Amino acid sequence: MILINCPYCGEREQSEFTNGGEAHVIRPKDPDTLNDKDWGQYVFYRSNPKGIFYERWVHSHGCRKWFNAVRDTSTDTILKIYKLTDNKPDISEFQSSLKSPSGEPAVGSGNFAVKK
Amino acid sequence: MPALRNKDCNYISNKEIKITFDGKSYSAYEGDTIASALLRNNIRLIGRSFKYHRPRGIYTCGIEEPNALVQILNEHNEPNTRATVKKAYDGINISSQNRWPSLSFDIGSINNILSPIFSAGFYYKTFMGPKGFWKKIYEPLIRRTAGLGKPPKNFRSKSIHQNHNVDILIVGGGLSGLIAAKKLIDTDNEVLLVEQDSFLGGILKNSNKVKQIDGKNVFEWVKETEKLILKSKNIKILKNTLVTTYNFTNHLIALEDKYSGKKIDVSKSELTLHKIRTTHTILANGHIERFISFRNNDLPGVMLASSFEKYIERYGVTPDEKPVIFTNNSSTVSLVKSLINLNCKPSAYIDARKQEDIEDETKEYLSKNNILFYPDSEVEGCEGNKKVEKVYIRNSSNKISSINATMLCPSGGFNPDIHLFTQSKGLVKWDDKIISFKPDTAFQNTITLGSVSGNYEFKNLCKEINKKLSFLKVDDLNLEIETNIRDNLSIKELWETKTNKKSKWSKSFIDLHNDVTTKDLKQAINEGYDRIEHLKRYTTNSMGTDQGKISSINSLGIVSKILNKKIEEVGTTTYRPPYAPLSFAAIAGRSTYEYYDPERKTPIHNWHIKNNAVFEDVGQWKRPWYFKKNETETMHQAVQRESKQTRKSAGILDGSTLGKIEIKGKDALEFMNLMYTNAFTKMKPMTSRYALMLGEDGMIMDDGIICKINDKHFIATTTSGGAPKVFAHMEEFLQTEWPHLQVYLNSITEQFTTFNISGPKAREIVSKVFSDIDFGNEKFPFMTFKTFNYKNTQARIMRASFTGELGYEIYISPQHALELWELIFKYGKDFDLVPYGTETMHLLRAEKGYVVIGQETDGTVTPIDINFNWMIGKKKKDFIGKRSLTRSDTAREDRKQLVGIVPLDKSQFIEEGQHIVECENLPSKIKTPIEYLGHISSSYHSPNLNHCISMAMIKSGNKLMGKKLFVSTSKGTKNIPVEIVSPVFIDPENKRLTS
Repeated sequence: MILINCPYCGEREQSEFTNGGEAHVIRPKDPDTLNDKDWGQYVFYRSNPKGIFYERWVHSHGCRKWFNAVRDTSTDTILKIYKLTDNKPDISEFQSSLKSPSGEPAVGSGNFAVKK
Repeated sequence: MPALRNKDCNYISNKEIKITFDGKSYSAYEGDTIASALLRNNIRLIGRSFKYHRPRGIYTCGIEEPNALVQILNEHNEPNTRATVKKAYDGINISSQNRWPSLSFDIGSINNILSPIFSAGFYYKTFMGPKGFWKKIYEPLIRRTAGLGKPPKNFRSKSIHQNHNVDILIVGGGLSGLIAAKKLIDTDNEVLLVEQDSFLGGILKNSNKVKQIDGKNVFEWVKETEKLILKSKNIKILKNTLVTTYNFTNHLIALEDKYSGKKIDVSKSELTLHKIRTTHTILANGHIERFISFRNNDLPGVMLASSFEKYIERYGVTPDEKPVIFTNNSSTVSLVKSLINLNCKPSAYIDARKQEDIEDETKEYLSKNNILFYPDSEVEGCEGNKKVEKVYIRNSSNKISSINATMLCPSGGFNPDIHLFTQSKGLVKWDDKIISFKPDTAFQNTITLGSVSGNYEFKNLCKEINKKLSFLKVDDLNLEIETNIRDNLSIKELWETKTNKKSKWSKSFIDLHNDVTTKDLKQAINEGYDRIEHLKRYTTNSMGTDQGKISSINSLGIVSKILNKKIEEVGTTTYRPPYAPLSFAAIAGRSTYEYYDPERKTPIHNWHIKNNAVFEDVGQWKRPWYFKKNETETMHQAVQRESKQTRKSAGILDGSTLGKIEIKGKDALEFMNLMYTNAFTKMKPMTSRYALMLGEDGMIMDDGIICKINDKHFIATTTSGGAPKVFAHMEEFLQTEWPHLQVYLNSITEQFTTFNISGPKAREIVSKVFSDIDFGNEKFPFMTFKTFNYKNTQARIMRASFTGELGYEIYISPQHALELWELIFKYGKDFDLVPYGTETMHLLRAEKGYVVIGQETDGTVTPIDINFNWMIGKKKKDFIGKRSLTRSDTAREDRKQLVGIVPLDKSQFIEEGQHIVECENLPSKIKTPIEYLGHISSSYHSPNLNHCISMAMIKSGNKLMGKKLFVSTSKGTKNIPVEIVSPVFIDPENKRLTS
């Protein structure tokens, strides 16, 4: 279980939080002007990368505030936590910290020794 | 027979205890494990093996034990307890496992002769057919024979969880762990030292390898060091505590047995699960000796050499006076020395290494003591009746000779115990010098010290520790460690000896716990399972409760030879937590039975109990399901009675569980317009409206009644189970999408107790209870509400109904709830008022054609699908889900739509969940799929219409009114002929509601 540093309460156990999926998906201002495809893109499609991911969390068993986090999905390391009102941090801030557990290949997982 | 006590031993007390094994009583000493107690009484046959039911004894002296699993009959009747770990105490009652009728005569051992059936992959091959055999024969058979011990009954364990936040965690209180701890005494680091055994010292107490430390006898040194640690202000020691799990972010789980060596006190917690968060983890968890595969290497009497030594040094018991020692390395000479110190002598010393590779000291020591010495030789196998009797030795010129012996001690070298290190995602590498994997690159802040890092040399130990801990800026510690053995491990690669097959009974095992033989490995590779992860699952190698601790590297060795690859190319299988079996009771902690999930009760709960309510769980709530009038009344009878009486006179429902949310603020109106489908702008204050909440995909999420007090103040109700979800949904949009809206939310579910009174007599009853309120239809029309003062608390009455009858909902402060409820009954008695439960509620609403969210809807239903077009504020610019309602898929005309269904033959009953089809009969064998038109979502026997009424979701339902179709049944192939009708069965003109 990872620790998450709530920007309002401080560091707490993951079990106090709920993950809210990808961050920076903005609800269209005027949904009626969108065609089915673009609206469908907003409602149904989210990215799921291995590596750096911008995501939302809510401190549901605490202050109930939403905030954003940048997490490396391959190591579960939280690289940055910022409030909803803060600007989206640039990906170049994080690129260098990508490190897979057990040095496994960047894509896919499994037994490194066998993969070789 | 008196217990053996061979040697003065500092770690075992003189206090005699009595233990019972398979019904017989034996003597032992306090501090003994079950294994050492049994060895003390010369018992070698402990259990039967998993698959072949072969006789098995004690193989090791610790957590790595694959064979000696027993059932503890007292306590919780705990099965599969490792006899080598579990401490004995006075009165402990132990039984052997997996044998019938008795341990020495076991019928299951016939499997050994049938072993060709049970070879690699037998689960996949044997149970393939014929058809029907799986369910009737194989599964019951496997269920009966699978596992070793019997699960406990009426089990209720108590365990607690404890959290630690430290700077440094030291795993293992052996020599390396103690040196590290000693260096950290009185530094600024908060340190936790965790030891799995009941004492510190590890190898210092388990062997005679180390003679002196800094000129002191090792026993004195450990005692002194422990005292210093305990005196320090920054180091805490946890004994009897095993680290089982190493997670991300240096989070480790350890399990403490608080009753090690004591009888469990059932009134206290017996296990503590420690959750440790640390900045640095020091792994000093040592090494594990591995075995060698040879013919019948599983016979009782075969015991790993270092384990044998541990029994002598640690427990003061000598399992055998003349064992045969078989080794491929230099470590075993310390066992010979231990035996000689006791005036015992090994029958033979067999060393697989070449004459010239064997240390001169060893050769001299053996010849000085006149011990039969076989250099460059191997054990070909051993034989005997349920115990070792004869050992066969193949010498350098390939000649086989035999000697008589009752015990055989192999040593195949040592594996650094990398389990925790790899759990932490650290990388390991192969070391040709020690012929094993050892830690390489750490993934977290993990430091490995001593033998777990692959360093087996005592004289280098302090140097290694000083170097690896130098980043902590603590003083160097240099100890003079004097040993009884040559310091460097010289080892020859040997996984399996060449054997001569003598009978069907002969087997060379690679996994003792799961009965996997070296032949199985070869067969699996021949059948194409040459990847180690596949091979493991196909053969079940190293998948027992011991996880192949003494054998998994050996199997890699054997596989690498067959594949002609290097071991590092074969790779290891993934090490996963827990390191050793971890009881579910410990994980559950206090969250068991009634503490597992909170129970929510309404203020009327005790009244319900007194009036024979049968309860139903709705989320965490306990709601009355129906009220039993007398002992013999069935649920069906009760529900029919309650329903009939409500429509005839009046009924009352405890609706306190409904979610209630207060929405206040300058922009409350705009917010409500966005959250719900309905239009609230033109709605008059002090009126209420049935409303729908959608997800962004246009599907119905929840429903409820919205009370508008004014444009800045609303109260919304939600379904009983949906309240937290709806509240969180509102909060999310307020924070993330519309932070500019000034709206405040407040959950008031528990602040108001709710009663629903409905029925033709409802008005008369409430008029009596609240005599100063005018309930006349003009003054108090349908879908309006009034607030008033009730005993200095705010109360609210709303005219609304979920039954289709004239109805009032009373919202009252919980402190007055029960007295009001009783008052209503006082007046209600004259009007034949009946309390009803959730089942009657469902029946009554179905008669009226009202939907239940989660019953008619399932997350794929839009408001249009259930003919709720009138609830959509089409003129509103936007609300959540609006745009999705016009998506091509949501606007399809052949979507499933809500209809009512009645059977043509009114005596027939339609079951919920059944399918609606076009054919009268289902074929007895279905060859091509039968077209499915829809399903029955609700079905009841209506007491007011006296026949079955159903609601269904069916393709293009609106166009099918009056059509005759069929509904399948759970009994037979004959379908029920039905007619599609409107889902509103009672009062379609809403006369009862509005008059």
